[in-house]
Amino acid sequence: MSQNGFLNRFRGSEAASGLAMISPTAVYAVLMLAGPLTAVLLYSILTKGASGIEWNFTLANYAEVWSSPIYRSIMLRSLTVSFSVTVVTVVVAYPIAYFVSFHVAPSRKSIWLFLITIPFWTSYLIRVFLWKVILGYNGVFSSGLEGLGITDGPMSFMTNATGAMIVTLAHAYAPFAILPIFVALEKIDRSFLEAGQDLGETRLRTFWRVTLPLSMSGVIAAVLIVFIPTIGDYVTPDLIGSGKFPMIANVIEVQLLKLDNKALGSALAVSAMFIVAVVSVIFLLLNRRFLGAAK
Amino acid sequence: MNPRPDMIEFQDVHKYYGDYHALRGITATIKAGEFFSLLGPSGCGKTTLLRTIAGFEGISSGAVMIDGKNMAGVPANVRPTNMVFQSYAIFPHLTVEQNVGFGLRKDPMSKDQKARAVAEALEMVGLKGYGARAAHALSGGQRQRVALARALILKPKVLLLDEPLSALDKKMREQMQVELIRLQRQVGITFILVTHDQEEALVMSDRIAVMFEGEIAQLADPETLYRRPNSKKVADFIGTMNFLPARIVSEAGGMVEVEAQGFGAMTLTTEQCAAAGADKAGAMVGFRPETLTILFDGQTATDRETMGTVAEVVYYGDMTYYDVKLDGTEVPMRLSMRNVFGRPVLDLGTRTRIAWSPGALVLFR
Repeated sequence: MSQNGFLNRFRGSEAASGLAMISPTAVYAVLMLAGPLTAVLLYSILTKGASGIEWNFTLANYAEVWSSPIYRSIMLRSLTVSFSVTVVTVVVAYPIAYFVSFHVAPSRKSIWLFLITIPFWTSYLIRVFLWKVILGYNGVFSSGLEGLGITDGPMSFMTNATGAMIVTLAHAYAPFAILPIFVALEKIDRSFLEAGQDLGETRLRTFWRVTLPLSMSGVIAAVLIVFIPTIGDYVTPDLIGSGKFPMIANVIEVQLLKLDNKALGSALAVSAMFIVAVVSVIFLLLNRRFLGAAK
Repeated sequence: MNPRPDMIEFQDVHKYYGDYHALRGITATIKAGEFFSLLGPSGCGKTTLLRTIAGFEGISSGAVMIDGKNMAGVPANVRPTNMVFQSYAIFPHLTVEQNVGFGLRKDPMSKDQKARAVAEALEMVGLKGYGARAAHALSGGQRQRVALARALILKPKVLLLDEPLSALDKKMREQMQVELIRLQRQVGITFILVTHDQEEALVMSDRIAVMFEGEIAQLADPETLYRRPNSKKVADFIGTMNFLPARIVSEAGGMVEVEAQGFGAMTLTTEQCAAAGADKAGAMVGFRPETLTILFDGQTATDRETMGTVAEVVYYGDMTYYDVKLDGTEVPMRLSMRNVFGRPVLDLGTRTRIAWSPGALVLFR
């Protein structure tokens, strides 16, 4: 009886209706995110057998991942590329967001944001191929420089695969950086800027002491939004670097799908996840001051 | 006392926003050490005028002088003015201390001296010991005080206050009014206050400029503004003014013979005539609610007397407002009477004698 009473109470409660509302998403999240994640975590501490996975718990996979110089250098390359992409993207996105927020008439802001996102309606694959055309041997960039007489003869800018990857990824993630920075800038009360000048600071100094710290929450959001997905990107290294400069995701793909080493691949994935999480937490802690102030 | 030197001078200041003529030839002088108010309804240009002093707003023609120097082309950050913003603009990413010390960056004082100056400024506005608090944890009244300390610590020649009290509740507002007056006397800096609250302007200011539609309608001390408004518009905006139609019979030698509804024939001096604001609808006499007195049993009028009927009673505790229809008039007039212990409040419809004096009237024509 008491159980029935509890159930009836639960059915009528707000918690129940809340759960009912989120249940499709919750089911989706459990099936598509929590499930696979658990599987990967589990695989990473099992052993690779002759014909698949064997139920022998071991930490040998992790030992291999963390001690192998190959994986270490690939992880370092991934981090370098991601950091560079993040820095380039945020540095390029900030002035654009600033311009739209401060120098575009309020009635035109939405059309500006719309125009900024238009190039990103194109498939990412097509954009990567276009970058190949632009940067590749005798490509747009090369013939442009040749036409200007700066270089003689066709050349490729793809030989520096890391540089080419950074350019491609920075372009791909620009709107994801522009939008959060724009939102943070929009929230800044314009009287703060007047107050800064009123208290004797030039516009530049006011930007440095008021605008930048107040928009830091947007910058951090942009950093995380760009950094986390780029480190897991594997299409760009494949297409731009022709697979010769793999990033961590490519290695995971090879282990999981091509070599069928689910255990090692999973350990790599979990390790990468761990490193990204640590880096993200460091970002957040470094800028806690700014985030706390944005309330 | 020596006549105070001029601190601010507006010389025929005009300001256009596209086709909109926001300031229409402002000419006025504000003395050093004065508590000056710009009073007017929203959209009258009072905030725009204040912002031309701060340097946030350019002017289309004319000149703004501060302490004898033309401010044309002088940016806000080097003007000898500081502002308390309507929103207070307290930097949310800084502590109270950092906010107050914001403008001291370039000051040659040592770190210790700066810290002491900040502590003194905070003490002056009654926020001793609040230095380490986060700015976003402050109440409205505290923000206001931080904004004041942040501006006053720089010892500006002029402190500009843009509706600083409008966001506070009534009690807090009245308390801050008194504190601002005290603070102004203490530091001796010229304060310029923008407000739409006529009571606030009357309470706080040495002189008030009443503005309508980009022009100064009257510039005077509070008492003159209240007792001798120079137009019906100013009279209406400041306090309550009752109006009765009147006819000017003759005018000679500084005396005006007037025949007013409800009051009858009287002689007024030309000083009682509002100079500006010629009203096409004909002349009017106006009076403040407290200048007419209801006579209770046994009281006699010192000057003139008339009769009326109580049409409305509004009891305020210390005061009672009576709307009284004077004999021979159509619209009830508002009278205010201080309540006296033991004397009953009059009922609706009571016939009553009313004492008045021609000297308290203002003639609008």
